[in-house]
Amino acid sequence: MHRGVWYALAVGGLAVAGIAHASGTIEALARTCNNCHGVNGVSAGDGMPSIGGLPEGYLKTVMMEWKEGKRYSATMGRLIKGYTEEEIAGLAAYFSKLPWTPVAQKTDSKLVERGKQATQSCVSCHGPTGKAAMPTAPNLNGQNAKYLEMEMRKYLDDSIPMPAMMRMMAKQVKPEDLEAVAHFYASQK
Amino acid sequence: MNPIDRRSFIKALAAAPAASVLAVPAHAQGKPKARVVVIGGGFGGATAAKYVKMLDPAIEVTMIEPNKIYTSCPLSNEVISGHRDLASLQVGYDKIAARGVNVLHDLVESVDPMKKTVRTKGGKTLSYDALIMSPGIDFKYDSVEGYDEKVAEILPHAYKAGPQTTLLKKQLEAMPDGGVFIISVPPRPIRCPPGPYERAAQVAWYCKTHGKPKAKVLILDANDSHSKQALFRQAWRELYGYGKGEMIEWVPAAEDGKVVRVDPKTRTAYTNFGEHKADVLNLIPLHHAGHIALKTGLANERGWCEVVPMTMESAVHKDIYPVGDACIAGELPVYDMPKSAHMANTQAKVAAGAIVAKINGLPPPTPWYVNTCYSLAGENYGFSVVHIYRVENNKFVYITAAGGVSPADAPAQGDKAAVKVPRVQYALEAQYLMGWWRNIMADAFA
Repeated sequence: MHRGVWYALAVGGLAVAGIAHASGTIEALARTCNNCHGVNGVSAGDGMPSIGGLPEGYLKTVMMEWKEGKRYSATMGRLIKGYTEEEIAGLAAYFSKLPWTPVAQKTDSKLVERGKQATQSCVSCHGPTGKAAMPTAPNLNGQNAKYLEMEMRKYLDDSIPMPAMMRMMAKQVKPEDLEAVAHFYASQK
Repeated sequence: MNPIDRRSFIKALAAAPAASVLAVPAHAQGKPKARVVVIGGGFGGATAAKYVKMLDPAIEVTMIEPNKIYTSCPLSNEVISGHRDLASLQVGYDKIAARGVNVLHDLVESVDPMKKTVRTKGGKTLSYDALIMSPGIDFKYDSVEGYDEKVAEILPHAYKAGPQTTLLKKQLEAMPDGGVFIISVPPRPIRCPPGPYERAAQVAWYCKTHGKPKAKVLILDANDSHSKQALFRQAWRELYGYGKGEMIEWVPAAEDGKVVRVDPKTRTAYTNFGEHKADVLNLIPLHHAGHIALKTGLANERGWCEVVPMTMESAVHKDIYPVGDACIAGELPVYDMPKSAHMANTQAKVAAGAIVAKINGLPPPTPWYVNTCYSLAGENYGFSVVHIYRVENNKFVYITAAGGVSPADAPAQGDKAAVKVPRVQYALEAQYLMGWWRNIMADAFA
């Protein structure tokens, strides 16, 4: 149907802003993510991550790991099992093409400074300021601080399944520095 | 514009973020392409109005809502427990208006589905090409003998957020230690299916932390099971005490839990065979779709609006799209769409997509129905239920491979080992609840 709509739009002369949005299958599916992750994947906060503009490889990997039960999630695993691999790929592609928008948050400058010192082990994948340095790593700059902190605590909790590589790396950060690390990345533009 | 240029133009639009391109009206001048009227400015109506305008700015959208300020029902149980004030749940319609939606503060008196017009109390008549009907619920007050709208000022329902919420909170504050707080739950379907049970937890939370450790929260239920049952049991037991002689007690219909009569003077709830004296009696009456939906003839004999799954168009009247708590969707009792803010929001997006497509002579886009509903049972103790529906052969199909409730502890059974859920699960979901709420408020009202 998707291609058919493009054809109808192009040939039928229905060139009006937004009609394409009403008809694209993946766009319609992606619209259902806005409820929790914000319009255009920019989250209004409090523990929900922004997803618009994250690398396609990262988004797809995470969603597939949830679907296959390889990565612990409190809520998303139950949602993502309802989507096909093709839809997951479509969503990853869709959200990766949106601009990454760091969200302005209240951060504590002392924590930010301390956090910066504690992120030496993060740089090779996430870049010095949290701008992803590889296609399977997420951007962290301007990501929701509470989300970042909670997510890192998941890696430190051995009672739940999480990917081994990041678990190993997360353990390089002292538990008492997690909040500071979260504040550092949240403060980056 | 030649066809090739036009194609590039549309592709560029599709690739660009919606906010930057679509906020600019393409047809700022002249006659609108079509007229869409939205009745109700709750999660369903506001989302629908916003998305129709966003998807095609050339359509004129008018949203009719009597109140200037909307109060979110989600999280309003936290007002009763004193964890937030009502103002924190309130939002105006200025941002929706700034998107180009005409916001009309008026009350709809009647709809003529044949002439396709809406008449308001303020004397306006609006014609529509498509009408979105999102009036929420109204109560059947006489479903419980002795109850009516006036008695609700003594025995609050607090099932529409606002003054009723504040009233119930004040009654709880005034309740003595050792007092009895009764929550009377009507027969399903109800809006916010876990609402009464979350409320029980929130009331217990308040009592435990405000010098009322001997208080009792008694749930008198007209149903024999409820939403997130195992999770609520677990949380109640873990946090406040649950069962006979404990702080929270639940009486199902099968054990004479259905309240049939009340006496507001003595705050007594009567069941078929028993009576329960309360200090606070939170009587939630039976619901049906909002009055205007009934008056328009959209509701079935049980008082709910049935819809066409592909588009959310009414099964009764063409070009009217009921969304939100007013509609009933899905046949199976367990798998019918819950009446939640999130469900209303995704239904509204389906309706908006279908309406915009139809106006532009296109087939309706694939509909997606998703629900996530969080409950907060106590400090760092949240959990959720997830629903996904697809449309197959023009029927709503609940996807059983997905969805379901958060995991709960389970004792060993046969070959199965006992399950003890890591408590990080509930701490995460308590946090996600807030994030969900902020984002859905922005998605609907900003």
